[in-house]
Amino acid sequence: MRLLTIPKDKYDEYRLNLIFDCYKWDPQFQDNNTVAKHVLVITKEEHEELKKLTEAIDKETIDAEKYLNENQKYAKPLNLPKEITKELKLMKNYDAEKHVRLMRYDFHPTIDGWNISEVNSDVPGGFAEASLMPQVAKYLFKDEALWHINFGDILTGAIAKKVRPGGRIMLVHCTSYSDDRQVMEYLGDKLETMGFKVIYGAAEHVLFKEQKAYCILYGNEGPLDGIFRFTPLEWLKDIKPKYWDGYFDTITPSCNHPVAIFAQTKRFPLVWDRLELEGLTLTNWKRLLPKTVEVKDAKGQKGFIYKPACGRVGEKISIKEACDEKEYEDILREVKKKPKEYLAQKKFISKPLTSEEGEQFHVCLGSYTVDGKHAGYYARISDKPRIDSRAADIPVLIEGSEE
Amino acid sequence: MLTNREVYKIWAPAGAKWVDWVRPVPFVEIKDYSKSYKFSNLSIPKLIYLSELPENTAIFLDLPGYDAIKEGLALARFGMRPIPIYNGTNEQVGSRATVDNHAVEFGLWWGAKELQKMQIKEDALPVFLLDSNRVDRYKMSVTVFDNSWDIYPQDVPSAEYFLNNGINKIILRTKDEANVDLKKILYKYQEAGIKIYYTDGYIEPVEADVLKIKTLKRAPHKDE
Repeated sequence: MRLLTIPKDKYDEYRLNLIFDCYKWDPQFQDNNTVAKHVLVITKEEHEELKKLTEAIDKETIDAEKYLNENQKYAKPLNLPKEITKELKLMKNYDAEKHVRLMRYDFHPTIDGWNISEVNSDVPGGFAEASLMPQVAKYLFKDEALWHINFGDILTGAIAKKVRPGGRIMLVHCTSYSDDRQVMEYLGDKLETMGFKVIYGAAEHVLFKEQKAYCILYGNEGPLDGIFRFTPLEWLKDIKPKYWDGYFDTITPSCNHPVAIFAQTKRFPLVWDRLELEGLTLTNWKRLLPKTVEVKDAKGQKGFIYKPACGRVGEKISIKEACDEKEYEDILREVKKKPKEYLAQKKFISKPLTSEEGEQFHVCLGSYTVDGKHAGYYARISDKPRIDSRAADIPVLIEGSEE
Repeated sequence: MLTNREVYKIWAPAGAKWVDWVRPVPFVEIKDYSKSYKFSNLSIPKLIYLSELPENTAIFLDLPGYDAIKEGLALARFGMRPIPIYNGTNEQVGSRATVDNHAVEFGLWWGAKELQKMQIKEDALPVFLLDSNRVDRYKMSVTVFDNSWDIYPQDVPSAEYFLNNGINKIILRTKDEANVDLKKILYKYQEAGIKIYYTDGYIEPVEADVLKIKTLKRAPHKDE
């Protein structure tokens, strides 16, 4: 794995291309430029290893969520929000064949090899960054034999297999957030070129009758043939759209179906021992995810960090050297107050990459799966070991020629 | 006819200070509809609350629709750099929206042609442009498309960045009352030692305590 530096005289144009051709509408986060000045190159061997690990761990996740859905009594230690728990019984009719299952596993190079920090099981993002960004970057390094996986092609291909040709697909997202819209607009434009009718709307614009989804957005009313949800399930419970329970038992093809919640909570590892007793395999997960325990079980032990069960983009993770003093104290206070909403996890030591200019960057390499198959990469780099909203998006290219 | 990218490059010329904060969203979203916007009243107004270029100062213009673009251009004539930080998206085609973001897109497209005629120094002081209608999220019916938006601390420079770059004073210019999202940001600046001034567009800016700038009544938001 190595970093290639984008030539200085080409960087401004590259950044503009990302904004106007690649749906990168958030190139700045406070004082930080979120468009990396580098490209991440992985070797053919690293790609093959990651692909194998990703698919192995994904099989374990899918088996576990199926089992948990059928045996919901084992899901208790996940401590899911009570509003969600109340609706879980509706998911008994879940048929994986009818829906598209999309996940992203976040890999980190560490001093002990690959580690995973989490799976984005419910609403992973970064679609255009994983599809168009490497395409643009590849042209900057024409002399090298490099290729990339187009995640968007794989995802939309999977949607096309489950939604009727020319069908109406609602892209459900928080319509007030442009950073959600940029993800949706990339997907929407791509689906439209495939002949689908795309509707941008919010969770409350979907109504369910006899388990089928209907759009109630003014001027776009009518049956829906597919739902692509980008509003996290735990936000949905706060927004409380009138018909939200319909998402749980709908037979309208969905991506993702709420069954994703079992693996979305960072407390997912706390049920693994029980699931293994029931005959499930979680060997790859256990090898790649640092030891994870209840907050109370980490008391007095060294080397643990706290993570919120419903955390996103690295928020509220107690990595001391990556937080300012106040943020760190605030997290510890909240962990003490609500220990069941957190978990304790052994901290891994990230192994930074060094750029040609001698700068060091920590890497988070997200590896997607769509319906159980590897589907591409989305990476971020940071000068700090915690990869959060301040991190920069970096395209991933693979050495060699296309598979 | 200027392309969206050309419009953006006029507002955010490479190498100029503060332009990293220009939000691309309305520039990407400019559509033919935005360019043929019918309800326009565009001209650069005369400023009556400032008689000379302030020192060590950033200005936040929080005015309805494209008004901050017009006034931003008036401040550009003074030598300041207008920085549009609009972040609203267009509604689903055919739906009814809470906010008319096309007005801002039209204003930026029109304003680019005006801005092109001006010479602004690369290190000019910044004027941040906002649409005060952004928080209009009252919906008569659930069937309306909510494209209201808020401004967050991550959308603007940190207090530390301002102070390290010689800005120790911020002027807030609003028409009516200050929006809560912006007040939260200004409060953080104030806490860090930046002095906040306020003007309604008529009076000379007066030093203000952010907590005492009146709050606009608005619907609850899930982040609050």
